[in-house]
Amino acid sequence: MSADRSRRPLTAWAFLAPYAVAVGLLIALPALLNVGYAFTDHTGLTRDPQFVGFANVRRMVADGFLLDSVEASAVHVALAVPLRLLAAVGLGLLLAAPRPGGRWFRVAVYLPTVVPDVALAVLFLWVLNPLYGPLNQVLGLVGHPGFTWLSDPGTARVAVALMLVFPIGEGFLVVLAARRLLDGRLYEAAALEGCGPFGQLRRLTLPLLAPVLLLLAVRDTILTLQVNFVPAYVLTDGRPANATLYLPVYIFDQAFEFSGFAYGALITTVLMVVTAVVIAALLLAVRRWRVLR
Amino acid sequence: MGERGAVRLESLTRSYGRVVALDGVDLEVRAGELLTLVGPSGSGKSTILRLVAGLDRPDGGRILVDGQDVARIPPHRRAVAMVFQDYALYPHLTVLANLTFGLRVRRVRRQEAERRARAAADRLGIGELLDRYPDQTSGGQRQRVALARALLREPTVYLLDEPLASLDAPLRFATRAELITLHRELGTTTVHVTHDQAEAMTLGDRVAVLDRGRVRQVGPPQQVYDEPADVFVAGFLGSPPMNLVPGGGVLGGADDVTVGVRPEDLALDPDGPVGAAAEAVEALGSETILLTRCPDGTRLTVRTGPRPGVRPGDEVRLRADPGRLHRFDTASGRRLR
Repeated sequence: MSADRSRRPLTAWAFLAPYAVAVGLLIALPALLNVGYAFTDHTGLTRDPQFVGFANVRRMVADGFLLDSVEASAVHVALAVPLRLLAAVGLGLLLAAPRPGGRWFRVAVYLPTVVPDVALAVLFLWVLNPLYGPLNQVLGLVGHPGFTWLSDPGTARVAVALMLVFPIGEGFLVVLAARRLLDGRLYEAAALEGCGPFGQLRRLTLPLLAPVLLLLAVRDTILTLQVNFVPAYVLTDGRPANATLYLPVYIFDQAFEFSGFAYGALITTVLMVVTAVVIAALLLAVRRWRVLR
Repeated sequence: MGERGAVRLESLTRSYGRVVALDGVDLEVRAGELLTLVGPSGSGKSTILRLVAGLDRPDGGRILVDGQDVARIPPHRRAVAMVFQDYALYPHLTVLANLTFGLRVRRVRRQEAERRARAAADRLGIGELLDRYPDQTSGGQRQRVALARALLREPTVYLLDEPLASLDAPLRFATRAELITLHRELGTTTVHVTHDQAEAMTLGDRVAVLDRGRVRQVGPPQQVYDEPADVFVAGFLGSPPMNLVPGGGVLGGADDVTVGVRPEDLALDPDGPVGAAAEAVEALGSETILLTRCPDGTRLTVRTGPRPGVRPGDEVRLRADPGRLHRFDTASGRRLR
């Protein structure tokens, strides 16, 4: 008995080990090294980086491009996270109920998620084309002259967010599953009280799904600060006027295009801090709703 | 006809796919009475509640509440309140918010809604639980919250769907008595669904026995028990169930008749006409159940007093109370006068 009990934690650790080792070697250690590299003159090409103290930090404080980049990222998160959540939650709730043909709609919603993002971005180059793209043609139907989507700073940001509204499969699935777990009798009880579909959404579905929605919001914030690299790189390459020079794009440019590996490392650290701040703000904001009771 | 609280079902039918849940139900619930709907699972009793509440629509037939056809009235406009089997309390709301939910939906001002909720909670003895969440209360307390929520609708008809089923035995016993008291105080028509025949016998002014979507018999519990309308009712009400013996067997009777006798109407009697061997003896403390087998293979269950002095394998003589024999037509199963 006692031998059995003492071995049990060991077994647990043994099962955990492959994952723990991978996280340690592939994520935690590089992240720590990254913080260290931020205070060197490492270019990514030379072998022996020298410690330079706060030189990179001083450079960062004076870096106008970085300000543009932080602003672009912040605007992107403010635009893309609500849109993506709205799409995932709206479609998830709409398609959760069993309906004839419902599975085909669910497949259709998930499909863009399995398309490689480079392919999706190339597809959007066509969708957003001001001359023959379908988006402007649809706008033309309602009498709008259309936009030069990718060459105007404002619409370029919207365009990238628009593209990222489609790969929402994971969030969609989570909402779908969570909605199906809710007890149907609660809705019957509410219907007996005269609570209509909108009232049920407001008084039952959304509050009951709140923990899931919060999880999705946190996850999407982290994700959205990073997955905008590919669309920005393919669609706009950070332009026009640095409007889509999101932090991942700027980091890539610094680290690999300009061989400023150490400076890239410093901005990566900044990105981590920005992410942590946004999520902390999010958690503080929802605290009064007692979601995490 | 238009009496407040009366419910009338007229040839009500409802099928789910190929499953016939209700097969022409006619039933009248009198104003102010407590009617128990009892039957095995799948007999259609919950379906009746859902149709009366408006959660589901009948395929055919009419439902009259307060003398008015409710077919076109949405659930929340019907003067009915339903208590669900698992209570369906909103888990994200406190007990107080659960109670005020319906009032708030109907745009009653918050202060007024809370005043009424507190009054209902006090009436059911859950006044201290108002700030708790449903998962912080016990099964019995949750049942009271559900009852209080129904109370706040001030309906003319209460629909209770197995409200005692998820309580443990002692609590169920106590709550049963409280339900009766509450019904007496309120005097509001109540339809109580159960599959528990003890509840059916003790709770209702009248009991309606359902089987496979049909009402088999309606009447005061004792009357239904004493004069079951058919073989199904005879076998369903009563525990252990009535002994049913083909005519010409150990209980006599014509060939096309089934003769029934309740276990308590069979007595151990050394001079009794029926001989049998005791197969099993279940001593329940206050009474004893004997499972016996006659030479022709007929099994008879006997309910007798404590300590009858019979052991498995013993030969016993039985006498049936001649005034308490039930005769049913074997072909139709109907009771013969």
